[in-house]
Amino acid sequence: MSTYEFLLPDVGEGLSEGEIVEWHVAIGDTVKRDQLLVEVQTDKAIVEIPSPVTGTIIALGGAPNDVLAVGAMLATLEIAAATPTGTVQTRGTDSVAGGAAPAPTLALSATGASSATGAPRRPRASPATRKLARDRGVDLATVQASGARGQITHEDVRRAAESAQSSSAAVPPPSEASSVTLQPASPEPVLAESGRSESALAPAVLSAAVSAVGRTEPLRGLRRRIALTMDKAWRTVPHIFSMDTLDAVALVEVREVLNHDLAGQDIKLSFLPFFVKACAAALRAEPRFNASIDLANESVTYHADVNIGIATQTADGLIVPVVHHADTRSLVDIAIEIARLADAARDRRVKLEQLTGATFSISNYGSYGGHTGTPIIRPPECAIAGFGRIEDAVVARGGVAVVRKTLPFCVSADHRLNDGEDLGRFIDTMRRYLAAPIRLLGQR
Amino acid sequence: MVVGNIPEAMDMVVAGAGPGGYTAALHAARCGRRVLLVDEAGEAGIGGVCLNVGCIPSKALIELAQAAERTRTAPAMGLAAAVSGVDLAVFQSWKSAQVKTLKRGVKSLLDKAGVAVRRGRLRVLGAHSALVDDGEGGAQFIDFKSLVLATGSAPTPLRALPFDGARVLDSTGALSLEALPASLVIVGGGYIGVELGTAFAKLGVDTTLVEASGSLLPALERNLSRAVARRLQALGVRVMTSTVVTAMDERCLVVARPGVKGLEIEGLGTAGAAAVVEERLAAERVVVAVGRTPNTADLGLADAGIEVTAAGHIAVGADRLAAPSIAAIGDITAGAALAHKAAAEAPVAVDALNGKPAGFEPACIPAIVFSDPELATVGLTLAEAKAEGIDARAERLPLTASGRAAIMGAQVGATEIVVDSADGTLLGVHIAAPHASELIASAALALEMGVCAEDLALTIHPHPTLSEQLAEVARRLTRT
Repeated sequence: MSTYEFLLPDVGEGLSEGEIVEWHVAIGDTVKRDQLLVEVQTDKAIVEIPSPVTGTIIALGGAPNDVLAVGAMLATLEIAAATPTGTVQTRGTDSVAGGAAPAPTLALSATGASSATGAPRRPRASPATRKLARDRGVDLATVQASGARGQITHEDVRRAAESAQSSSAAVPPPSEASSVTLQPASPEPVLAESGRSESALAPAVLSAAVSAVGRTEPLRGLRRRIALTMDKAWRTVPHIFSMDTLDAVALVEVREVLNHDLAGQDIKLSFLPFFVKACAAALRAEPRFNASIDLANESVTYHADVNIGIATQTADGLIVPVVHHADTRSLVDIAIEIARLADAARDRRVKLEQLTGATFSISNYGSYGGHTGTPIIRPPECAIAGFGRIEDAVVARGGVAVVRKTLPFCVSADHRLNDGEDLGRFIDTMRRYLAAPIRLLGQR
Repeated sequence: MVVGNIPEAMDMVVAGAGPGGYTAALHAARCGRRVLLVDEAGEAGIGGVCLNVGCIPSKALIELAQAAERTRTAPAMGLAAAVSGVDLAVFQSWKSAQVKTLKRGVKSLLDKAGVAVRRGRLRVLGAHSALVDDGEGGAQFIDFKSLVLATGSAPTPLRALPFDGARVLDSTGALSLEALPASLVIVGGGYIGVELGTAFAKLGVDTTLVEASGSLLPALERNLSRAVARRLQALGVRVMTSTVVTAMDERCLVVARPGVKGLEIEGLGTAGAAAVVEERLAAERVVVAVGRTPNTADLGLADAGIEVTAAGHIAVGADRLAAPSIAAIGDITAGAALAHKAAAEAPVAVDALNGKPAGFEPACIPAIVFSDPELATVGLTLAEAKAEGIDARAERLPLTASGRAAIMGAQVGATEIVVDSADGTLLGVHIAAPHASELIASAALALEMGVCAEDLALTIHPHPTLSEQLAEVARRLTRT
């Protein structure tokens, strides 16, 4: 017999930590290789991590809601097969992403009760489970479901109640808040290790002291991920924004013609594939927008591929599936890919590679009626484009006021890599393709 | 009126002894509360409208009508039978015996639980005080810790056709008739009107159903109610939709149809500008069944700072509390006025008053109509699901596919199941069939448990039964 220490693998690209969402095994359980061990919330989504070996669980690296650093002990198993050293250390990329174990799949919704489209639905739970949740003060919307098709079980509710109890025990009562030092209330060693400044924690402590009424809940799941990413982006990336409008008459016409030709087929072009193509062309023309900066090592990396993330609102929060190789794909191909990604998001089964590798992102806030926005860059990307709603506007043409279809947009760039003039050039290229989409035909 | 000056101290008071009220009283007693159940009719009121003049008596009449109807179809099966007469006086005493037995059952439960029952009308005076008027000149102030209001609803009168207890009857009057009228006009094509119309027609009464809206059972999908409209016509009931009552004389009821220009119809507006075409309907008796009004007007709710909506409903939270010490359940709260809703709300209200976490949050509330065929519906229709933005689909199987239905002589009807296209989870079940009211319970369980069509398809349903239809529709939904 020997022990096998399974370390939290880096299941994505350069992830540094993961939050334990739910264990599917307990100490003493015998597990088979490839059997689901645990669901971990990473920077991107929830990843199901299977066991790399067959054995018996003798230790778990944390409880639900604990945050573990990549490389930290996730689980220790006793295995029958003798190994030379007795303790085997694994690196995640070897054991999980490298093909030794099945690739993790992602469950995007924590509750299993909402879909990417449509109104939020009530969590699935039987009447008795519903009553148990009420008795134990558990909000079903926050409970991780383990039953078939997202059904919340009695056990899920009990687990949620217990973890809520243990986390509330760790939070100092409001009366003591004034004397609280700026230490994280719950033990989160990863926060300290990763050097996140205490100032990021201060507001939470302050608001606990100020707010006499209301409700405080732990920031968890996708919302925590979004919060951390946006916090980092806003504090580390000096944004410059350029807002403008472009003439969209030709764009509207071309889309109509193409959709006419596509009638009867499964696919219908929205404006989004055009935005993707135009941005891809501009990224090819301006490589420093398809790049990443590493200030610590004082280096700039120029990416070989043009991979464009599409900001997608789901019931649980914003996720950004990626259209890979957007520069080499056709409009229709991109439209099909976007539809496929949206479907996968709705089914809560997006593959990890579909959420990683973006070199640039697009926020299509026009699709929900937005006019202008200031999109926030998602590092290590260095730029993002936002597109508003196309609408009729009175513009001056040849000294005459005419009504034209107009597309408002905003491109945000990381000023560390690009200056205003660079941004102007990027926008000019993008605008050439969107104002006269026929140019897409001339692309090499 | 003599008013007792010294208030009587009470732990929990429940106003209304219907299915909501007596269920609340029993649950509260089980939870260790000392309970006083107050009802306008005292012990005679136990069971409320439901037991005394509603659900149970109407089912009794429907059972009688069904027996009469069967003698009409029996000869074709080889049974020589005929109805020689319907004696409603005998029926009334049989029905009263049934009601009495059932009431005695509830009364003994209340007795065992130690619930005191008192006659009186309760009027709320404040968050912890009320006045109970016994209707015989006596009244008593009561200080209560908790109060459950379950005062139910009453038939809504038509201004043009006020109830007179003799010729113009409400449903209670219709169910208490000692003799069959030669002709009957029922005003209101909702579930009460349809149930009564079907029953009286089967008993041989010349029956007309008058409904102001464009179809019978306007609260239900026409897809479901169509079977009932067809059957009513086959039974010889004259169904007049989009029709309103304009006057009544000694022999007849005068009605007019809209679409006729110049006619102003309450709630429907004026229709153009032409002559009003009126029709005279023979009407020995008229039953008005145009809805029910919550009994909240005389409760003194304003004194306790409790809000009543325009529809007469008391605004309550999921815990059924209208105030920290006062809960309201049943017909006086929003939602369908159904006995089973009231009974389900009762323990929630009591738990909330006991300071326990409680919430009324069913996935679905089944609704049934004892028409012919019976209609039963639970959950969302396809249109409702789509309106909620759900990618839903539905399958429907006509009753003609069922051997059991054929033997029962039931041809008109269908079973429909609506599922979420994403994973087949059941969203709604709608049945028009004999005993649909019984069949719907398993569908409600399925919805509460979140089963998918495949679960239902793989659950063995016994043969030969009407319930097989559910499994068959589920199989169709899983095949694609």
